[in-house]
Amino acid sequence: MKGPQIAIENKTLANGLRVVIAPDSAAPVVTVGVYYKIGFRLEPQGRSGFAHLFEHMMFQGSANAPKMEHIKLINSSGGVLNGSTMYDVTNYYEAVPSNALSRVLWLEADRMRALKVDDENLKNQRDVVKEEVRVNVLNQPYGGFPWLDMPPIAFRNWANAHNFYGDFADLDAASLADVQTFFKTYYLPNNAVLLILGDVKPEEGFSLAEKYFGDIPRGPEPPFADPNEPPQAEERKGHVEEKFGTLPAIAIGYVLPKRRSAEWCAMALLDQALHGGRAGRIYRDLVLEKQIAVEADGGVDDIFGYNGPAQMTTRIFHKPEISAGATLAGFDEVIHEVQEKEISTDELEQLKIKWWSDYYAMLEGGRGGYMPKYGLMHLLACFSLFDGEPQLVNTILDGFLQVTPEQVQAVAKKYLRRENRAIVFRAPANPGAQKEAA
Amino acid sequence: MATASTQASSAVPTLSGERTVNWPKRVKSKLANGLEIILVESHSIPRFHGELFFRSGNAAVSHLAPGLADMTATMVRTGTSKRASRQIEEDLRRLGADLSTSAGQDTSAIAFAGLSEFAESLLGLVNELAREASFPDPELERERRQKLEEVKLERTQPGFLAGERLRKVLFGEHPYAKVSPAEAQVAAYKKEELQTIYRQSYTPENALLLLVGDLDPKAMFGTIEKIFAPWSGKKPAIPHAAAPANPRGRRVYLVHVPGAVQTQILCGCHSITRRHPDWIKLGLTNSLYGGAFNSRLVMNIREAKGYTYSPRSGVTPLQQHGYFSVSAAVRNEVVAASLTEIFYELDKLRSLPVPEAELADAQNYLSGVFSMGLATQDGLLSQVATVALNELPDDYLETYRQEVRALTPDDLQSTAQKYLDSANMQIVVVGDRGKIETQAALFGELEICDSQANRLS
Repeated sequence: MKGPQIAIENKTLANGLRVVIAPDSAAPVVTVGVYYKIGFRLEPQGRSGFAHLFEHMMFQGSANAPKMEHIKLINSSGGVLNGSTMYDVTNYYEAVPSNALSRVLWLEADRMRALKVDDENLKNQRDVVKEEVRVNVLNQPYGGFPWLDMPPIAFRNWANAHNFYGDFADLDAASLADVQTFFKTYYLPNNAVLLILGDVKPEEGFSLAEKYFGDIPRGPEPPFADPNEPPQAEERKGHVEEKFGTLPAIAIGYVLPKRRSAEWCAMALLDQALHGGRAGRIYRDLVLEKQIAVEADGGVDDIFGYNGPAQMTTRIFHKPEISAGATLAGFDEVIHEVQEKEISTDELEQLKIKWWSDYYAMLEGGRGGYMPKYGLMHLLACFSLFDGEPQLVNTILDGFLQVTPEQVQAVAKKYLRRENRAIVFRAPANPGAQKEAA
Repeated sequence: MATASTQASSAVPTLSGERTVNWPKRVKSKLANGLEIILVESHSIPRFHGELFFRSGNAAVSHLAPGLADMTATMVRTGTSKRASRQIEEDLRRLGADLSTSAGQDTSAIAFAGLSEFAESLLGLVNELAREASFPDPELERERRQKLEEVKLERTQPGFLAGERLRKVLFGEHPYAKVSPAEAQVAAYKKEELQTIYRQSYTPENALLLLVGDLDPKAMFGTIEKIFAPWSGKKPAIPHAAAPANPRGRRVYLVHVPGAVQTQILCGCHSITRRHPDWIKLGLTNSLYGGAFNSRLVMNIREAKGYTYSPRSGVTPLQQHGYFSVSAAVRNEVVAASLTEIFYELDKLRSLPVPEAELADAQNYLSGVFSMGLATQDGLLSQVATVALNELPDDYLETYRQEVRALTPDDLQSTAQKYLDSANMQIVVVGDRGKIETQAALFGELEICDSQANRLS
């Protein structure tokens, strides 16, 4: 199992903007991303949901591209675009026929240079975001389970514990001044990385990056609040009412080792042993064999992309006739087993082959059929912003492929402890409701 | 320098010359037993994607019960004469592979992806699933229980309730009317029925094997022949389907969900299948109406008015019939306002020619996005599968862009008049009756049911 050999070139412009280029001329398509090192974890207190609302504002107009112009120019070039807000980064990305590269870079530079938005734009996107929250969370069975339920139960530092989609009162309180302050604080060339992947020649890419981004002024290094948690000494539990769904659900989250620590690789493989599809121990035991649950999934959401406290989270939808206590006992048996007994070398070998295969699949695609190289872009961005080393894409696999059964067992013992976990119980408010209507 | 970069920053760069889009060769062949094969090279990563399609799905067996082909597909991965469920799952992992089995209205499929170096073993497993599934009783009972919980749960999802209702209204007695079984129907599924469906439809004469990825077509064909040649079986007989309903005039169907904090709107009317000569015209018309971010519907009810997060329109091209639909999840206060704008934009496209510049933008969008399928193995597979399953011309991928670019404002207007049939759109709204009933009633005669499809008024 050899690692990828992706051609990567990178440099930093005088204003601090990191530029990473991964040329590949196989298809006449280029993927461009700009990642800013700010996510919802460190958004301002009293402004929950602001980082995400702000992401929407980045599509509302910049100095030379008024509202709708950005979207119109990308779509009419034959491309697609989007953005997303994560814990520690926010990204903006486009995939376009490669003849539109200059145009895409011009647009990204224009909105890095100056955001030009008004109160009407803010009100409009506040309304849009509220409907986003309703359609994904408030009006859906198990909406926000567990990504919004877990933080206030598991964590004590506001950075990790608040509502990342935003309380509506906080969204309403957000002002245009907040938007410009956030922009000036975090949306700086020296707090960002530009990625150009696909049909581009490196020298051309660097020269276009210099042309469009080179004169954007550097800003003061942004302040980042401390995201660390006080030590946890007890198992944490909380209850959330399920308004629509019909099954009781439980989520169990364990805090992960620090990213790129010695234990990180072993934890990733332990996660695969537990959550790797239908062969994973949790699905196999709880759904296929003991049949306590009708669905069980989860795992580490983004093993490469966190820069603060993060969890490995299991979601279990269990049969109503089996109690939450019995379900949790079944889950604990699975955990107990990986703590007490080394996984076999055969199982570990399977996990490594799958991990290797999945890694390649992630590099190629990763977000639908229409965003080529999304995964490669995301990895290059995280390795640039957190590690200063985009080339890690080609070598990071080695550490995972060297993990031993002893190391997997050791992280299971150290991290899968009750004092390192939190549990969300999401039980239907009215389990009989479905029958009444008939 | 400063002057140069200031200039650079204020004017939109023009597009440079386009690189030619070269679709890779589709290497086609057919085994003596009738199995069609299409192989496509794409060497981006040392993996491949594959799908073994069977040209019959839930619609073909809906006279027995809805969802039977889907349950058959589900059972296919739970055991064979050689491997128990657990062995199948561990072997997949050992090959670095993912696999799923499913059935839609028109096809059943085993989809898989994995490392090229283990292609032969993975194809061997796929062959085993297609020919030797053993339908173990305990696995069926487990899957039945999971399915029962799933059908209960889907009745709590606004998107599902809207889609189910629209399909029922548009298709009436036709099999496409049923998107999901009732609990009692799942409880009554019989193993023998599933095995009969499996025997009759999982046959080489009914199948298409499509592989895209890091492979050598010649060597791969040899491997496939070795594995699949001994397979045999005829094409299944498909019962004649009743004609779909043809609802005239706008009617409104409200699905009452007490406590809903948002309303799911879904409007639809019959249109065409992919094989219809107007398909590309309708694709472009839809893209301009509500199929892209930069479309009229999104600009109106999202970016100008803020009624919704994710409005969209689309054409669902089932094999026998297609339908056009518009969806948006909106806040309860603006249900009538949103419907008004949805119809305003439909009628505008029917009444007024599209400005040339807007048409050109939409043409560029559709032709650009179409070519993006080239850049990933699964994107390519999906494009090639669409052509093969719909029996489109061999050069469909190559000619698509020029066909899109040849369309005129007149083409779009006449297409809108034919297929964006606003006078006969059926309107479904899923939400809390108390909050939306009077708004919904403004748009046509109102029928109300609950989430279990019981008529309330």
